[in-house]
Formats: sequence, structure tokens, C-alpha cells
Amino acid sequence: MVSYLIRRSLSMIPILIGISVISFSIMYLAPGKPAVMNLDPTISAEARSRQLSALGLDDPAPIQYIKWLGAALKGDFGVSYIRKRPVSKMITERLPATLLLMGSSLFLASIIAIPMGILSAHKQYTPLDYGITTGSFLGIAVPDFWLGLMLIMLFSVNLGWTPVGGIATLGGDFSVLDRLHHLILPTIVLATGSMAALTRYTRSSMLEVLHQDYIRTARAKGFRESKVVMKHGFRNGLIPVITLFGLLLPTLVGGSVIVEKLFSWPGLGLLFIDATFQRDYPVIMALVMLGAVLTVIGNLVADLLYAMVDPRIEY
Amino acid sequence: MTMSFRWLSPLLATPFLLAACGGGNEPAATQTQTAPVPEPEAAVVGVEPGYGGNLIIGSIGEPVIFNDLYSQDVPSGDISDLIYAALTTSNENLEVIPDIAIGEPDISEDGLQWTFDMKEGVLFHDGVELTAHDVVFTYSIFLDEDYTGPRAGSFTSLENIEALSDYQVRFTLSEPDARFATLTGYGILPRHLLEDIPVAELGEYQAFNIDQPIGAGPFRFVSWTSGQNLVLEAFEDYHGGRPYLDRVTFRFVQDLNAMVLLLGQGEVDYATGIPPEELPTVESFDNVNVHSTLALRYDFLGYNLRNPLFQDKRVRQALTHAIDRQEIVDTVMEGNATVAHAPVSPLSWAYNDDVPVFDFDPERAKALLAEAGWTPGDDGIMQKDGERFSFEILSNDGNNVRRDLGIIVQQQLAGIGIEVTPRQMEWGAFLDRILAPNFDFDATILAWGLALDPDPSAIWHSREIEQGLNNIGYSSPVVDALAESNIRIMDQDERAAELAKVWAELAEDQPYTFMWYPLQFVGLNQRVQGFVHHPRSDMHSVSSLWIAE
Repeated sequence: MVSYLIRRSLSMIPILIGISVISFSIMYLAPGKPAVMNLDPTISAEARSRQLSALGLDDPAPIQYIKWLGAALKGDFGVSYIRKRPVSKMITERLPATLLLMGSSLFLASIIAIPMGILSAHKQYTPLDYGITTGSFLGIAVPDFWLGLMLIMLFSVNLGWTPVGGIATLGGDFSVLDRLHHLILPTIVLATGSMAALTRYTRSSMLEVLHQDYIRTARAKGFRESKVVMKHGFRNGLIPVITLFGLLLPTLVGGSVIVEKLFSWPGLGLLFIDATFQRDYPVIMALVMLGAVLTVIGNLVADLLYAMVDPRIEY
Repeated sequence: MTMSFRWLSPLLATPFLLAACGGGNEPAATQTQTAPVPEPEAAVVGVEPGYGGNLIIGSIGEPVIFNDLYSQDVPSGDISDLIYAALTTSNENLEVIPDIAIGEPDISEDGLQWTFDMKEGVLFHDGVELTAHDVVFTYSIFLDEDYTGPRAGSFTSLENIEALSDYQVRFTLSEPDARFATLTGYGILPRHLLEDIPVAELGEYQAFNIDQPIGAGPFRFVSWTSGQNLVLEAFEDYHGGRPYLDRVTFRFVQDLNAMVLLLGQGEVDYATGIPPEELPTVESFDNVNVHSTLALRYDFLGYNLRNPLFQDKRVRQALTHAIDRQEIVDTVMEGNATVAHAPVSPLSWAYNDDVPVFDFDPERAKALLAEAGWTPGDDGIMQKDGERFSFEILSNDGNNVRRDLGIIVQQQLAGIGIEVTPRQMEWGAFLDRILAPNFDFDATILAWGLALDPDPSAIWHSREIEQGLNNIGYSSPVVDALAESNIRIMDQDERAAELAKVWAELAEDQPYTFMWYPLQFVGLNQRVQGFVHHPRSDMHSVSSLWIAE
């Protein structure tokens, strides 16, 4: 197990370097220059080149990459071209909001989707199953921005129960209740999509298990149906679902641009999209690498969890 | 959807490109051609302004830096307008008026020396007096060779600045420059806090620029929570008298739909840049008034004159003749704009409508094309020397007005046998294609946000072709000469007469098909009183707003 961990961790290094090379190249090959380079056109060529060299933009791309990598290895992700602030600070400022939103929506999605998936599989081809299936497809089909706007119209504008957007009441002191109040709608919108997918995933995984011989054996032994489904079925059906959670880890910090925009939620998704439009290279690279690291770690975690819940798997 | 980032601060002395669509939904009849007329307030008659209250301003973008010497975006400029005092500012008629200066500057005979008298007793937010030495300190930064901020090019004619006394400051120019008055509106920095910072590092000096900016404006900086809000509070000792409002809070809203809802909910009091398609909604709110004025800008279809297709003036005139701009204004802009014929805004003192006009006239267009040697080919498309008249119109995506305009132009030009392909690109990639050094385009749909001063040099002088904003490659000895001479004329009327020749020359040449002057709209909660709509500065009247009970 320990040697497996070490091996896997070491193999992450070339993967991450590969990702950084590719993202850096794509970023440079994409049309458009950093917005800071659109200076006052009457500025002298000399002043312009001084400014570019201050930003390190006058080096050839490979040199820029190596400089970036050297600094990044030391944990220094540079300073935003636009905001002139350390990128790591900009990210840590935004990270909690995104984690909170994505975490709560994932939590909400799981506590609803997993029981629904089990139920749907257990009652296959009944009206209940059809109902859940239809509901899931609706959830997948409904676009985030539409659902968000509709919920805002209904609950914020017409009923006045929830705030229109933001993360806290303007000028108010921090309180958990206030935060939850602001969290409800965006969480529901984000959860709807993933809930639907998770329900379908759980359902198909459970169905596969429920048709296994050992389930028939368990039933033949005369166990209660709930015990058959939950103990013998669910525990085995959960295995593929756990993998899914491992893979969802990067989305936790990736945030959702659409929902964050709609609800003015100050998270990383917005930071990323703004940085992309302004070609703010240091911010783009830091966020891409954050996503890459979490994807790689997520995969590892999924594999480890696999071994934990499934005794047949050993490393 | 509207992209809402503009490229450069409205403070900038040079024109800037606009990514967003402007305009609005008021009937065209309410516009005037000469000056912005603030709509009558739904004011409570007989109610005196009272102190107190918190004004919540909805802001789509987040600011970057609170320092006029370095800021390039609209939210930063807006907030700095409230934090800092300047020698001069501009009023809603776009005239330069004194702020901490007293009266008009004293300009020497040769136009080289500009002397300003300053108010005494103007205080910075930390209680230290603002004197001529702070002004000298601030403007000397522009002259420092280590200054690499975005304004470096604006001050090339400034040679020297000196304090004649604590309350008198003199700028010496190397050549007469009538535009200089509009360059005296930059926020004055406190010398006592910044004199030890090397100029090269000033732009990165966060402790002042971001964390705690100190100016002498009507509001002082309190706090900024990234992604959420920014709070300013009234400065008790403001030289213009304490503002009525206790606080101004900028609320960062990421989405225009959400902004409109917040306005209706009363959670945002003041929202600028209301897009035309949202106007019916905003007008339906009982608690909100909509104000409109012309924007200091014009939208245009520009032709890349490097392309042989567009090198004949008659062809460009024919293109304009073939485009029904009034129809486009009535449909695409829903009447919220006026057809433009020249590159100067009706808001400007230099506006002159005595220019050649090329109204919708497809027959005349065909005749002009025939004169230029174009004849219909077998496929119905005009041809000359075996080449078909076919080109691409580029614009930026996320802008429905430009998308629709491209499609309508395509249809209308098809009517005279010209093939057009409209295409939209992401803003950054679009700029990369149309600006130096690529110039890889046939025609573009764009808009200029104009500077306070009407000088045409930055866009039309041939020296701006290689690096500057003259990306279509327009070159005219007449315009070059007038661009150079007009800035030496200190008398505004005389200068306007010279500039009128520029507008006439440009209108005759039609390097652009000038499209329209759009209206702009703001939504304001009815509890807010005293609003004056400035076409260029959204924060203009904030220090004199008050909240009605």
C-alpha cells in the first residue's frame, strides 16, 4: 500500500509537468494578448518595452515557461497582470466561497440522489422508477441559467423569501443563518444537475448488483428485503459511485461560472473566466494547475477508496 | 448578453474602443441634438436635501486600483472619482470646470504656460492640507522616465511643472496644446505619503493604491471585500462641503439580469449601463426612474483601407449609400440612437453637422460603383478586373447589436451586388486581429468612446497608422495638417471652425460608414434625489445626491 502510494505520487510529477507545458502552450498560441498590453497607443516604444520587460513578457515563450515553472515549484504563482496582486492571495480569497457552494451542492445532491437511485433500481419498471427517471432527465436537461433565473423570479422577486444574489447581506455582520440564506438557491441550482446524474449512476450500478447471484441467494435465505438491498446490494453498488466522488473533487474548486455569475457568488469560477478574457496568464496558469493537481489527487483518492470498500482490490 | 468591460478609463485623454453595446429604448423624439438634457426629476417638491443614508451603486465590474495614474478600467475610475480631488473636473455639458482650482487657468500669450490658482484649506482624508506641492508631485510622476503607466503618452508636451506658491501651480508646455485643460482632471496624490516610494514601484504600491488610498475627494475609502462590495463614507472636511450621503456602497453584481432584479428589489439604488432590452422591465418597477442621455461615442463600420476593395472613395460612399442607417437605428437600436454622419459627438462643442451626407439611396450607390469600374458579374456579384466584391465584417461576440447590424448590412449590401460575411470573435482575439501589427480584417463594427477633447489626431492622423488607433490606415494630408494645427488654437470658436473642416473631409472620404450616436440609460431608485446625468462620468453627481425619506 505504502509503496503503491509512493509510486503513484511520483508518477504525478511528469503528468503535472506535461499538463503545465500543454496549458502554457495553448495559452500562448491562443489569439489575443494580455489586456495590459493594450496601452495608450501614444506611449513611446521605449516605455512600452520597459513595461513588457517588467512583466517578463518580452522573453521568448520557453524562457517564460521555465521562469514560471521555477517560481511555481517554490510556491510562487506570480502577480496578476491586471490586479497587480499575488495570485495565491487572489485564489485563497475566493477559495472558501467556492468550496462552500460546491461542497453544499454536492452534499445536497448525494443525500437526495443516492436514496433515489437505490429506490429507483429496487422498484425497477414501476411508476416510481419512471417518475424518478423522468425527473432525473428533466434535471439534466434544464439549463443552470434558466433554472437559476426562474428560482430567483419565484423565491426572491415574487415571494421575497431569499436574497437575489451575493454571499452575505450588505453591511450586515457575518452569521451562519445569513450565509445559509444566501446559499440556498445557488446550491439548489447546482445540485439539480449533479443530482440527476448521480441518481442515474446509482440506479444503474444498483441494478447491476441486484441481478447478481448472491442477491438471489440472500433473498433465498429469507433475509428481509431491506437488508438484502441495503447490506448486500448497496455496499457493492456503492463502489462505482465512490469513484465518481473522486472524480468530482476538482469540480469542487472549479466552481460553476454560470451559477457564480447569476448569483454574484464571489468564487473561483468568476476569477477564471475574467482572467481568461483578459489573458491574465499568471492567474490562468495557477487555476489550471490547481485543477490539474486536484484531478490527479482525486483519481488517487478514488483508487484508494476503492481498495477500502472492496476487499477484492489490493495494491 | 452584454460584455460590460470597457477597455480604458473615461478619464483617458485618448479615445478608447468599446466592447459593449450601448443605446437604449427611449423614443428618439426625447433626444436633443445639442446637449444632454437631464430628465426632470420626479423630485418631491419643496423637500430640502437632508443628510444621511447609504447609496448602493450596482457595479458589474470590480475595480483594480485606486490611483488615476495607473487605472485603466471604468470601475476603478468611478471609485477614484469619489476618493480624489483634482485641479479640474467636467460638468454635464462636458465643459472643464474648476475643482480645487479657482476659476479658469491663466494661459500665457504663446499658450505655453498654464497657471492655476488653488483653493486654500483643501484637506486630504488624513487631515493634511493639499497644496500646490502635491499637484507638482502628482504631475511630476507623469514626466518621470520610470513612469510606465497608461498615461505616459498623454503628457508628451508637458515640459515642466512648478509650484509658484503653496496655492499656485504652473505647467510649462513645450508647444501650445489646447487639449491641455482636459489633462488637469487627474486625482491629486498626497506627497507626504508617497514621496519616498520610487516612481518605478508606485504602480505596485498596494498599501496605498489598493488597501488605503488617501485623496481629498468627497468620500473616503473604508473597505473592499473582493467579489462582494466596497464601502466609502462621507468626508466631513470635504472642500466642497460634506456630501449629503453618509455612505456609498458599491455592490458587485456579476450579471445584468441580476442587476435589474436588485434594482427592482431596492437592493441596488443606482445602476448604470442598463441595456435596451432590459428597459421595459426597469420601467415597470414602481420604485425606479430611468434616466437617459446621449453617450459620448459613435458606432461605426470601418473599412481596412489597405484592402484594394476599399481604396476608391466612391466605393466607400456607395457602401454608405446602400446601408439604410435610419432603418437600422429604428430596428436594431429600437430608436435609441441618432444616425451619425461624422466622427464627432453632438455632445461636443466641436460638433458641426455641415458635412456631406450619404443617405440611403441604392440607385446612387450602384451608379457610384459603376463609375468606379464595378460591373455585375454572372452570379449577380459586382466584379472588376475579374475580382468579386466580397468581404468579411468582423465584430466581437457577446454583443447582439453588432451581430444584428452585421446581418442587416449583409442583406442590404446584397441589394447592390456586394457579398458580405459577418463574423464575430471573442474580444481579445478580435483586437489581436484588427490592431497592430496584424491588421487582418476587411471591415469591422466598433464604437469609439470619445475623449473630452475633440482632437482627431489619435484616430485619424497618419502617424497613428503603424502603432496607434488609426488601424484602418486612413491617410489624408488635409486631415493631418488640421490635426496638427487645431491643437495650437486656444480660442474654442476658432478651433471649432478648423475642426469642422476635419469632420467635412472625413465625411466626404467615408473611411467609416458612421452608424449612430447611441443613448445610454441608468436606473435610479426614486428615493434618491438630486441626480444629474453626466454623459461621461457616472459618479458626477454622487457627492450632491441625497436620500428622500
